[in-house]
Amino acid sequence: MSDIDPTRGAVPVDAVRAVVIGVGNCYRRDDGIGPAAAAEIERQHLPGVRVVISDGEPAGLLEAWAGMDLAIVVDAVRCVPATPGRMHRWPARQLEGGWTASSHGLGIPDALDLGRALDRCPRRVVLFAVESADLRPGAGLSRAVATSLPDVVAAIATELRRAKVPPGRSGRP
Amino acid sequence: MSHGSRKLIVSGLARVEGEGALRVTVRDGQVEQAELNIYEPPRFFEAFLRGRSYTEPPDITSRICGICPVAYQTSACNAIEQACGAELDPPLAELRRLLYCGEWISSHALHIYLLHAPDFLGYPDAIALAREHRDIVERGLALKKAGNAVMEFLGGRAIHPVNVRVGGFYRVPGPSEFAPLADQLRRALELALDTARWVAAFDFPDLELRHDLLALHDPGRYPIERGTLATTGGLAFTPGEFPRHVTEQQVPHSTALHATLDGHQYLTGPLARYSLNSGSLPPAARQAAADAGLGPQCRNPFRSVVVRAVEIICAVEEALRIIDSYHRPDRPAVEVTPCAATGHGVSEAPRGLLYHRYELDGDGLIQSATIIPPTSQNLAVIEDDLRRVITAHLDLDDAKLTALCERAIRNHDPCISCAAHFLTLSMRRR
Repeated sequence: MSDIDPTRGAVPVDAVRAVVIGVGNCYRRDDGIGPAAAAEIERQHLPGVRVVISDGEPAGLLEAWAGMDLAIVVDAVRCVPATPGRMHRWPARQLEGGWTASSHGLGIPDALDLGRALDRCPRRVVLFAVESADLRPGAGLSRAVATSLPDVVAAIATELRRAKVPPGRSGRP
Repeated sequence: MSHGSRKLIVSGLARVEGEGALRVTVRDGQVEQAELNIYEPPRFFEAFLRGRSYTEPPDITSRICGICPVAYQTSACNAIEQACGAELDPPLAELRRLLYCGEWISSHALHIYLLHAPDFLGYPDAIALAREHRDIVERGLALKKAGNAVMEFLGGRAIHPVNVRVGGFYRVPGPSEFAPLADQLRRALELALDTARWVAAFDFPDLELRHDLLALHDPGRYPIERGTLATTGGLAFTPGEFPRHVTEQQVPHSTALHATLDGHQYLTGPLARYSLNSGSLPPAARQAAADAGLGPQCRNPFRSVVVRAVEIICAVEEALRIIDSYHRPDRPAVEVTPCAATGHGVSEAPRGLLYHRYELDGDGLIQSATIIPPTSQNLAVIEDDLRRVITAHLDLDDAKLTALCERAIRNHDPCISCAAHFLTLSMRRR
């Protein structure tokens, strides 16, 4: 897990109230939608919002979202049949195992369960899952998923506004 | 359970890295088949390294695995530096070891607490363990965080560090920058000692490995980021001689290759490292090993959890030693001038020996690459473990025997993502 740049912007760390976590591997084609969306949010320099890239490893997710008012997790999802690029918004309570495209034995639902057991969950978790077309090794999103990226970013921003995090743009260029 | 033919099928092997399947067939009381079926498509890293610059393998190969990227970076650097005749300044070599210590701490803590301990304590997973023993899981997460902190500090980030380059680093820290990390590691040492005491009290099934063990040997210290090769059978050879002794073969049931050492099965990893180097452990780790009841060698795969705990102590001790004696290197990296040559690099990934080989042309472009990850080397022994465990426990019902097989696999912390890349377990009995 890595912050894109945790010190960037004018927001002190203790003012951060929301985290956007892009889960995935940008070298597994559409599995990179999470990091790509997170990078777009980072470019907006939203005050009060921390942006993190993650491989979905639970300990890292707990570290990223503990104490937050809101955690927005963005990840690719494998569906059969799939409509590549279609986005789903799922609150945490709807998450069940088996949907993640992660290559690891433990995924986001496990991290949520572990977080609940350890009292290390944010107050609210929302997952944006984007149906994938191609999870083979290689860089770059498929056309359908790349086309969906602006909508995914807009949906994240809307979610942040609804939560009143942040109140406005930081004003940084 | 009848003594006729039957088949057990278990779909989905949890708590290992990657995807694959275990297929076990027992017929008339005899284990007829025990195969790990790796069905993640091969990643072709060796192929797409061809034509790339000699500077690129540390960043490219670190992407093979999110759990042990430093191992890939280090073996790659070792190989290319050997090919080009470059040798790291001693302070840079120490920083490379420090970075690797972070990966050991993080990877071992993850495996012990979130993947392996539930097996010994009768919990289906770490989440159930956390519900009843929150303090224990918190301790594991704090340890893992300390390991990640080392990688973030020195590598730029914990997963796929960006500060590693052939010849050293892009930036090296000043001595004063280490203070918070040293404080965190001093606390981690206590957590690591508690971890060793905790796992030493687990109940371990009987199983004695009969295979040759292969690990690095680094005179005077526990091998991590460099060394020559040694076996419990008395063989000793250099990284450059690795291809003469270790060969890989395709097997029909797996997309991962299986390796043999001079034609026979062998094991790498914590048991091999410890059995060949226990005398080189730093003081606290050595004492913890003795207190945990480990002798000079450990050949029971179920006790690998204890060895990993001892190795966390070793890594924390080593990290603190390096930080305490740190002087900022004169330069962040030594110059590495490419030449037409072949280089061989080895290092001890948390789960075992990782070998890289690169053939360069005069412009430093890679002509061929070979990567032999630890799980490929260990797959044949894991299958052998399974055959013996099943044979010794045929009286168990299907569910219990299946659970025991999963444990036998997790003993070796296989990273299928490295070996071929994605695992599911399927087990059958007739």
